[in-house]
Amino acid sequence: MLKTGRDILHRWEGNPAITIEKVPFRANTVFNGSPIVTDNGIDLLMQVQGQQGHSFFVMARSKDGFRFKIDDAPVMLPAKDGPFAIYEKHGIEDPHITILEDTCYVVYTAVGDCGRRMALAKTEDRVNYERIAMISEPGNTNGILFPKKIGGRYGRLDSPAGNGHGGIWVSYSPDLIKWGDSRPVLSPRRGGWDEYRVGASACPIETEQGWLLIYHGTKMTPSGEVHRNGVALLENENPSKVIKRGESPILSPKTEYERIGDVINVCNICGAVVSKNGKMKIYYGAADSSICIGTCHIDNILEKGF
Amino acid sequence: MTVKLRELFKKKRGQDIVHRWAGNPLVDIGYLDFKCSDIHNAGVVFFDNQVLLLVTIESLSGQRNIHIGRPAGKEYYKVDSEPFLSPSSDITYFEHEEHGVQDARVTYLDGVYYIMYDALGKYGTRLGLGRTTDFKDIERIGMISEPNVKGGALFPTKIKGQYARLERPAEGSSIWISYSNDLIYWGDSELVISPRPGFWDLGRIGTSAPPIEIDQGWLVFYYGVKTGASIPVCRLGTVILDKDEPTKIIGRANIPVLSPRKDYERIGDVPNIVFSTGAILEANGKLKLYYGAANSCICIGTTTVDEIVTNCFESEQEY
Repeated sequence: MLKTGRDILHRWEGNPAITIEKVPFRANTVFNGSPIVTDNGIDLLMQVQGQQGHSFFVMARSKDGFRFKIDDAPVMLPAKDGPFAIYEKHGIEDPHITILEDTCYVVYTAVGDCGRRMALAKTEDRVNYERIAMISEPGNTNGILFPKKIGGRYGRLDSPAGNGHGGIWVSYSPDLIKWGDSRPVLSPRRGGWDEYRVGASACPIETEQGWLLIYHGTKMTPSGEVHRNGVALLENENPSKVIKRGESPILSPKTEYERIGDVINVCNICGAVVSKNGKMKIYYGAADSSICIGTCHIDNILEKGF
Repeated sequence: MTVKLRELFKKKRGQDIVHRWAGNPLVDIGYLDFKCSDIHNAGVVFFDNQVLLLVTIESLSGQRNIHIGRPAGKEYYKVDSEPFLSPSSDITYFEHEEHGVQDARVTYLDGVYYIMYDALGKYGTRLGLGRTTDFKDIERIGMISEPNVKGGALFPTKIKGQYARLERPAEGSSIWISYSNDLIYWGDSELVISPRPGFWDLGRIGTSAPPIEIDQGWLVFYYGVKTGASIPVCRLGTVILDKDEPTKIIGRANIPVLSPRKDYERIGDVPNIVFSTGAILEANGKLKLYYGAANSCICIGTTTVDEIVTNCFESEQEY
C-alpha cells in the first residue's frame, strides 16, 4: 500500500528534542538550531528568545545528536556597544554554521530599527564567538555560507526582500567582507506550496549531482503563512543555475508540536548532518517553540525529493 | 522679544532657500522632438564646457530610459532621441533592467565619469553602475546592490581608501553608506540618516545629488517624503556629513530647502514632487540644482553653499 501521506523525512520518536523546559534559565522560546559536528558528537547553536522578545544564541551539546544538554549561559548576546550595537538592538536570530577552510563561521540575522540584516562571526572553541562584519544591506536574511569557495570566491545564499518578499539569491565575495555579483537562484512559485516566499535552510551539501539545497518556503493562507521545506539541486560551479527543484515539500507541519506554538504551522529546517554512510540528521524548529529532529538517507532525498 | 520677532520675519521665512529660475521649466515634453510619456530627474555633469543633463524619460509603453540633454542655444536644451542608457539585452543584466533604467547620478572620479542608476527588473529595483569618458557610449560595470535598493550616489573621492556610495535600501526607508575596493564587491554598510517622526521627512528619505565636498564636510541633498494626508509630498532637504566618517552628522536642517509650490511642481504624472539627482557647484560658491518636478519636467534652482550651510546649522534654533 502506498503511504502517500508521509513526508520523506521521518520524525524522531523523541520529538520535540529541545523545548523551553530544558533551557536552564528563564526565556520565552527556543527554536532554529544549527548543528556542528565535534570530536565528541554534535553541538547545536540555537536561537533562544528572551521574555522581552529579543533573541540570542545558546549552545546545546550531545554525544548522539539526539539527546542534548543545554549550556547554563548564552554564548552570544546582542552587541550592547561598538559598531554592531545599533543593528542588533532588537536581537540576533537564525544562526547558520558553516565549516569553511577549517574555520567555524556563523552567519546570523541582526535585528535593528532599520530591519533585519546579516552578520558574520566565527568561533574556535564554540564558546567564544568573534564578530567579523555586518555583511548585507538591511532587508536581507537567511544567510548561509557555502562550505567551500566557488570559482575562487566565497559564496553565500541569502534572501533579499526583492519585490517585498524574498527569493533565494547567491552573492560572492573575495574576502567575506565585501559582497557582490548577486544573482537570483530560486523564486517563489506561483500556486505552489512555496508561493509566498523562500529562503535557504541548511548549509548546501555537495553531491555528485550538484549542491543539494534544503530550503523553506511558505504559502499564505487566511490565517497566515504555512512554513514547509523543500529541496533543489544547484550546479556545483554556478549555484545560480538550478538543475532541478522538487515539486513537493519534504517536511510539512503535521504534528501538534509543529502546529501549536508561538507561530503556528512552522517546520523550519536549520541544518543537516550527513554521516559517512549517507544517513542524515536534520534539525528543524517547530512552531517557533521547539527544536525537532528528522532523519532520512540522502539517497532517499535525491531519488524521491524531486 | 518684539525686536527679535521682527528680525526673524526679515528672513522671509515663507520663501524657499533654493530659488527657482525664472525660466522654469527648463525642459518638458513639449520641447522634445520625439514622443514619450513623461520626463523627470536629471543627473548633471559639467563636461566639455557644457552642462549635460542625463534625464529619465518614460516611453509611451511605460519603460524608462536615460537620455542626454545637450545645450542648444541660450536657455534651451535638446534631448537626444536615442537613449544613452536603456535596458541591456545581455542575459546578465536583462532580468534586472527589463522594466527600465532611471535616475542617473553622475560622479567624476579619477578621470572617469561614473553613472549610478536604478535598474527596474522583475526582482525589484537594484543599483547599476556604468562608466563613460565621452557621454556617447557607456560601459556597464555591474549590478552592484542587492534587490530593493535604489537612489545610489558615488562619492567623488575615495573615503578611508575605498570607493563609497550612498544608497536607499527599502527596508527602514533610510540613507545608508557602503564601501568597496573595486566597485564590484560592496560591504561595511552603515546607517547614515533616517526619517524623522513628526517632520517633513517622516515617511521615507533618499539621496538626491551625489555628495558635494565643501569646507565643512560632505553636503548631501536628500529627498524626504511626508505621507499621511491626501497624497505624499516630496521635498528636498540637506545634511552635512563628516568628510572622513560620513556616518557622523555635522548638521542636518530641520526644514526643507525646496518644497513643491508652483503649478509645474504640483501638477503632473506624480503630483507634489521636487526631486533632484544632480547639482553643479560653481567656483564662487553658487549652487545650481537640477530637479525634476511632478515627474513631468526638469527645472533649475539656485542657491549658495553659504545659505545651505547656515540653514543646516541654524534652522533648529530658528523654527
